[in-house]
Amino acid sequence: MLSRIADSLFWLARYMERAEGLLRVTATHYLLSLDKDVNGALTWQSVLETFTTATPAEIEATKNQTADALKLLLTSNSNSNSLKMIIGKARENARGIQDYITKEVWEEVNSFYHLINQPTLDKRLSSYEAADMLDLFTRHSVLYTGITDITMARGTGWGFMNLGKYIERCFETIVLTNKHYQMNHYKIHESKDIMQWRQLLMSLSGYELHLKTYRSSADNHDVLHQVLFNEDFPHSVVYSLGRIDRHLQDVTRRNVSEENAALMRCFGRLYSKVKHTDMDTLNNHTLHPYLEELRGEVLQFTKLLSQQFFSYA
Amino acid sequence: MGFLDQYDLSPNIWDEMYDRKQIREHYHKVFHSLEQFDVNALQQKDRLAGELFMNQGITFTVYSDDAGIERIFPFDIIPRIITGKEWNHIELGIQQRLKALNLFLKDIYNEQQILKDKIVPAALIASCPHYTREVFGIRVPHDIYVHISGIDLIRGEDGQFYVLEDNLRTPSGVSYMLENREVTKRIFPELLAASHVRRVSNYPLMLHEILLQMAPAQISNPSVVLLTPGIYNSAYYEHAFLARMMGITLVEGRDLVVDNHKVYMKTTEGLEQVHVIYRRIDDEYLDPLVFKPDSALGVPGLMNAYRMGNVAIVNAIGNGVADDKAVYAYVPQMIRYYLNEEPILPNVPTYELSDPEQRKHVFDNIERMVIKRTNQSGGYGMVMGNKVTPEEWIKAKAAIEADPRSFIAQPIIKLSTVPCFIDGTFQARHVDLRPYALCGPQGVQIVPGGLTRVALRKDSLIVNSSQGGGSKDTWVID
Repeated sequence: MLSRIADSLFWLARYMERAEGLLRVTATHYLLSLDKDVNGALTWQSVLETFTTATPAEIEATKNQTADALKLLLTSNSNSNSLKMIIGKARENARGIQDYITKEVWEEVNSFYHLINQPTLDKRLSSYEAADMLDLFTRHSVLYTGITDITMARGTGWGFMNLGKYIERCFETIVLTNKHYQMNHYKIHESKDIMQWRQLLMSLSGYELHLKTYRSSADNHDVLHQVLFNEDFPHSVVYSLGRIDRHLQDVTRRNVSEENAALMRCFGRLYSKVKHTDMDTLNNHTLHPYLEELRGEVLQFTKLLSQQFFSYA
Repeated sequence: MGFLDQYDLSPNIWDEMYDRKQIREHYHKVFHSLEQFDVNALQQKDRLAGELFMNQGITFTVYSDDAGIERIFPFDIIPRIITGKEWNHIELGIQQRLKALNLFLKDIYNEQQILKDKIVPAALIASCPHYTREVFGIRVPHDIYVHISGIDLIRGEDGQFYVLEDNLRTPSGVSYMLENREVTKRIFPELLAASHVRRVSNYPLMLHEILLQMAPAQISNPSVVLLTPGIYNSAYYEHAFLARMMGITLVEGRDLVVDNHKVYMKTTEGLEQVHVIYRRIDDEYLDPLVFKPDSALGVPGLMNAYRMGNVAIVNAIGNGVADDKAVYAYVPQMIRYYLNEEPILPNVPTYELSDPEQRKHVFDNIERMVIKRTNQSGGYGMVMGNKVTPEEWIKAKAAIEADPRSFIAQPIIKLSTVPCFIDGTFQARHVDLRPYALCGPQGVQIVPGGLTRVALRKDSLIVNSSQGGGSKDTWVID
């Protein structure tokens, strides 16, 4: 496979996964913001800090304005991480590999792009239709995942798409987890009302799983276990790394080269760090550095991966 | 709805549907079934067609402010119809013409017999900017230079088809021919099925077959690629479309590298040799070591690999000398010279402005002439003698006198008209026809029909998409 195509597949998958994550967080936050909670209304501050490139002053001005926050997150041209920009970049990548991806995948990415570029969108997002629009976007995102799964051939390309997808998901979970525990000063041995954790869990589609799996009242601890170490939770860090492991094996088996060993070692260190961590060693002092290290190592692995397979220009 | 209510025809024009007394026979079926629809139903079909193009990404981008706006190429829903008999005549004419043009290219880059016999003046070739000395003496597989052509035909007021120009370099638009038919299948399924229209959908397979045959003979499983300038090229959709339909790899210049006179593509598994390149990049951008040194689209060293016969390039390099608009005037002589036959499809009379006598004639009769640049396409650089203002004419005249070899003149030919669905009514608009012909070792094959381009502005004769043109599905029916 051409290195350029592998590169574009990787980024197509990453951007689409990023869009999906952004949409789930935004939709969750939008619905929760309609409920008054004990601390008064939820603001958009944490979401805007995590997902946009807006300045602190802009965030301050936007955080209590739901319609403006939605615009910034979804349709803004100035925020380079808005849904519109992300889908635009996904489509740009898809365009360059139109002959490789199936017609169905291309048409889904393309129609999503045209949907998000409709001029009337801002108006609808500031009306009662906002939730419907968020549903519609999410449906497109899910549809993309399904169409990709059904129509794309397995092989090297599939491997790179999945590497992109799960690396992105891994990042997202680490970053979101860090943000939420930061707001609690990393106090994992205290217990916050589970209602307060709903935002994180629903953003990662894990709220129902949490209710079914964890019975203790040590919510801070349990939530951390779920998002980092629960093998059955498709958004957990360990699950994403497991998938990366599988697809990395596949890709290196199909593309034999001497440098593969170094890449495998780098990934092995990262994976075992998560697989073999004793949860008891994590506390309010060690959690933050631990998450930062993880993030750094995922970054390092991604860099190596792209050096190895995507150097062409 | 009343089809003919607003269908007004200008005098002295061949209308392909209506001979001013009655509907021509081959249009009966379409005419009568269109009459059954009301305006809303047709407008609905028109919208549906637009959405189909949009969702497939068959668009071009218009840049204004910082946001690019995507537009579709206008598509008119009413098919243009050609009879099987007319088509057979066109087919024979194009086959003959391409045979002669291929022989001309072989001759002009080798023995140059046609110059020695003074059929074509040597000065004309020597002054042609597209004559490529770098490929002199290079032999190409099966002596085929023009594998893919899009010869433009027009129909004059006498109902005859004329050749307007030969596009022998990288003609585009074939994806529209194929997609237009797919859209028609959605909007007029019964009508299409009932009309027994000849099939066009096998074009990509025919092309693929020819590309495979161009590979160096000893290769059993040749690797064929389509070389594109990239996603910002206006024809990028077509490149991706053709690559997908043929199952070949779509590459950009940066994906290729030349090592020891062989061409390779850079893959995740290392380098993989390429045997045939269907390029959609112009000659002068192909190899920065030989042509434009600042071209980032090409592949350094490609020409050497070509010269060594390690890679086939389709179409061949240097074809521009044969579709130069001044050389065009000599194609009938080429047909007589190489084939000893009379041309089946006539040329449009063409005046060479480098000849003082012809130039005077053109200048004296400018209101009946169109002046074109010999090396421009896309409808750019044209002077329509009946529309030009005195100031423009003074400027154009000066440009011509400074460099007469770069211009030719032709009498303005009123292109034939066909019905179009515009603003809820049927109106006559001018069209041309571009059939796509493929030359392989077995001869010339042409998919029946081709692309009908239509000038959507009233009374305009310019069909180019850059200047308000659109397209139509083209039916050849028996």
